[in-house]
Amino acid sequence: MTKENMTLEIIKMSFESLLAKKSRTFLSMLGVIIGVSTVIAVFAIGQGAQNTVNEQFQGLSANSILIMGNMGRGNIGSSKFALSDAKVILEEADHISQATGIIQGEATVVYASESDSLSVMGVEGAYFDISSLEIFQGRLINNEDVSGNERVVVLGSGVVETLFGEETDVIGKEIKVASKQMEVVGVLKETGRQLGMSSVDETIYAPQTTAEKSIIGGRAMKMINTTVDNVDNVELATEEITSILREQHKLKNSQEDDFRIMDAGSMVGAAQESAQLMSILLTLIAAITLLVSGIGIMNVMFVTVAERTKEIGIAKAIGGKRADILQQFLFESVILSMIGGIIGIIIGQIAIPIISNLNLMALASSITGPVIGFSFSVVVGVIFGFYPAFKASRLDPVDALRSE
Amino acid sequence: MDKDIEIKLEKVHKSYFLANEEEIPVLNGIDLEIKKGEFVALMGESGSGKTTLLNIIGCLHPLSKGKYFLTGEDIGKVRDDFTLAFIRNKKMGFIFQQFNLYSRLTALKNVALPALYAGVDKEIREKKATELLKSVGMGERLRHKPTELSGGQQQRVAVCRALVNDPEIILADEPTGALDSKSGMALMKIFKDFKQQGRTVVMVTHTAEVAKFADRIVYMRDGIVTDHNYKLTSNY
Repeated sequence: MTKENMTLEIIKMSFESLLAKKSRTFLSMLGVIIGVSTVIAVFAIGQGAQNTVNEQFQGLSANSILIMGNMGRGNIGSSKFALSDAKVILEEADHISQATGIIQGEATVVYASESDSLSVMGVEGAYFDISSLEIFQGRLINNEDVSGNERVVVLGSGVVETLFGEETDVIGKEIKVASKQMEVVGVLKETGRQLGMSSVDETIYAPQTTAEKSIIGGRAMKMINTTVDNVDNVELATEEITSILREQHKLKNSQEDDFRIMDAGSMVGAAQESAQLMSILLTLIAAITLLVSGIGIMNVMFVTVAERTKEIGIAKAIGGKRADILQQFLFESVILSMIGGIIGIIIGQIAIPIISNLNLMALASSITGPVIGFSFSVVVGVIFGFYPAFKASRLDPVDALRSE
Repeated sequence: MDKDIEIKLEKVHKSYFLANEEEIPVLNGIDLEIKKGEFVALMGESGSGKTTLLNIIGCLHPLSKGKYFLTGEDIGKVRDDFTLAFIRNKKMGFIFQQFNLYSRLTALKNVALPALYAGVDKEIREKKATELLKSVGMGERLRHKPTELSGGQQQRVAVCRALVNDPEIILADEPTGALDSKSGMALMKIFKDFKQQGRTVVMVTHTAEVAKFADRIVYMRDGIVTDHNYKLTSNY
């Protein structure tokens, strides 16, 4: 008989003895089921977080740098950061090709009986180009609108649906933004992008001056969005901006920067880092669960070996080798953990879409989760099954036969 | 060495050690020769070392001191599991007092098990097992589990299991001990057949009625052989 055939027979015997103790088999499997489901969940959450990060920063190109007033470390209000810094940076920095001031806030927007609180951005003409936003209907906000303090707005694609419902011809319509009458002059193409916490499509764009004076006023968050001429020069440009702004704000050497500079690359990096940290944490939890389930399996296998001591003695007396006995018990634990792993994977894969639909957190199924989950379950079976199986194979045949 | 000698023990000692390392001697220098095809009964009081001796012959125990020749080969010092398992599998067939069948397996699978360990193909080993079971009148009980069989039937299954790899030696430890006298006598008839088949039989028993089926009775006391050809008193 070939070696494979014999192994097959031994596997069959392992199956039979597992089936003989159904509830015990199931209970010891439960640990692995939970462990592997956790692994799947971990990877789904990790992948989900990664996807969210990627979506959030999709709108930022790698060569854009964001500058904000520094509001930390007790110097709130003392920052000399202003939107006019944008012009200075554009003029003085060698590696900055575009710079535009933005103010951002929230305002109540009303049209007929519809009203909603939406994100408002006060922008200059250059903003749309820097953020690669394209017009769908009408026109964009231009620099004349800004200098003329015009009461015009451009809507994100989602805003149209929110305010006008079925209506599609919205150009020229009057809406109220923070109780001020504004004319809709354009609608942007849908982007599906996220900028920070708000959706690009759910935002209203107004001329910077109008937004500052009439809509959001002092509550606004101000920032300057700049574009570096070349991705390789991001670091250089950051240094340039720092020295320009320090000079502009007349900061002494002893004083700290009253502004913050963030480039897209390091922002994405930071967000990814925190997503990874979460993944590591959850992986640790999954690993502990699997460890505990492994100890459970080991315990059950020890009980099984103890119960079947006589059987082991018989096996030895009729010519079973240590290797045969080791194999049989090892197969039992591996089958146990492997089936547990497969059930865990099935549960995980069923749960991911359900939890996703509940919108509790971003989940995305990945192939890594099931693969790692399954491999782990097999490894757990081998490692924790080995010691009991080894002990079984080393039993003295006469002692084993004598046991009841 | 005499070619007819199947089993030869020279000054075999065997001791057990307690947890506190105290030595308990069980066999104190056994000299024994058993010829090929001979049917030997081992008798003696409880604790005289009969079963220990049988286990040593069956390679289930290593011996502490002395020499063990199996068909002329010195195997007393062999400790390699692979070799010992091979000897137990191919050269010997064990029959126990408590039958020692696998309760989960059918009669057929129980009989076929040593052949599985020997690496015999499923078809061949189950055919052999079926033939053996039929020869002891168990043809109708192939798919029965041990719990569904009487003691006598279980012992017949165990006999078939001992024979499946066609061993030269049959080792039996009180084979009739758990049987009623009728089943016991039926079993002894099967044992007589072993002699016809040219097999060597070593049987531990304390029942004279059973022992009288043997060619020779070896009597033991306190771990030594006191009589190599013990004669039963006439009232048996």
